[in-house]
Amino acid sequence: MVLYSFYIFDRHTECIYSRRWTPARPTSSSSKSAARPQSGASIASNNGDVVAAVRKGMSHSDDEKLVFGLVFSLRNLVTKLGGADDTFLSYRTGEYKLHYYETPTRMKFVMLTDTKVINLRQYLHQIWANLYVEYVVKNPLAPVEHPGGIGVANELFERGLEAFITAVLPV
Amino acid sequence: MSKLTSNDYLMLAGSFHGMHAITAQLSPIPPARPPPLSTANPATTLQTFPVHATGIEVLESSHFRIQCFQTQTGVKFLLFTEPQQPNVDTMIKKIYELYADYVMKNPFYTVEMPIRCEKFDRGLDGFVKVRG
Repeated sequence: MVLYSFYIFDRHTECIYSRRWTPARPTSSSSKSAARPQSGASIASNNGDVVAAVRKGMSHSDDEKLVFGLVFSLRNLVTKLGGADDTFLSYRTGEYKLHYYETPTRMKFVMLTDTKVINLRQYLHQIWANLYVEYVVKNPLAPVEHPGGIGVANELFERGLEAFITAVLPV
Repeated sequence: MSKLTSNDYLMLAGSFHGMHAITAQLSPIPPARPPPLSTANPATTLQTFPVHATGIEVLESSHFRIQCFQTQTGVKFLLFTEPQQPNVDTMIKKIYELYADYVMKNPFYTVEMPIRCEKFDRGLDGFVKVRG
């Protein structure tokens, strides 16, 4: 399994955590990267066959906004077609697959992987229950809301996510 | 599936076009090139022909699945199925064949207009009933 990226959006439509394992594009000079505690670390074993993407002039934060807008519209489309109890799970293109999980508090967890992966909804739920709730929500020093992602990318959460990805996710 | 007014369907179709384009743009890896023909010289122009990332092919929700097939000319076929329905890929290709036979070869059909071809309707009905 190849992981491409992982995003968490809060209920104010803001991306509070993002992580990508594809090599950064040369033009992606994100000005917000200094303000936001992002992890630039990459798992070297995962991206061996991944080459730099072809898009130019799109920064990391542009990607976040596109992903949010996309899952938001897809979610609306699905509820409109399938009724209020229907939930959007994932979509697949020829190149990648996007997995989606939404908590009852409207937090959105999004993961981009390669196309051969089964649905990761339950794993995203586990990330929320075992990592986000444990290390971010229960952290007394973290603020209630996370404007700009403050308090999410702490060391325990980062390390837990790293361990989760290597140990729990299906290969 | 809830029944919507035709205006709602138009709105959904319009937004789907946009989302389809965005999903193609979000692709984290460059699209895979088709394998080169064994007889062809690798330096031929075939190799330099641009390959575009595809947009949404399958969308899954807890109640249904949408299979999207885009032809070379940009026509999109959307097939709504149950989540467990097998062989949707071949079914949608078959429907494309029906479209080519009964719509595109119909001399009274103007392109990019709503399809009102009785034979296509009947062919599609027959095809779906056999499967169902």
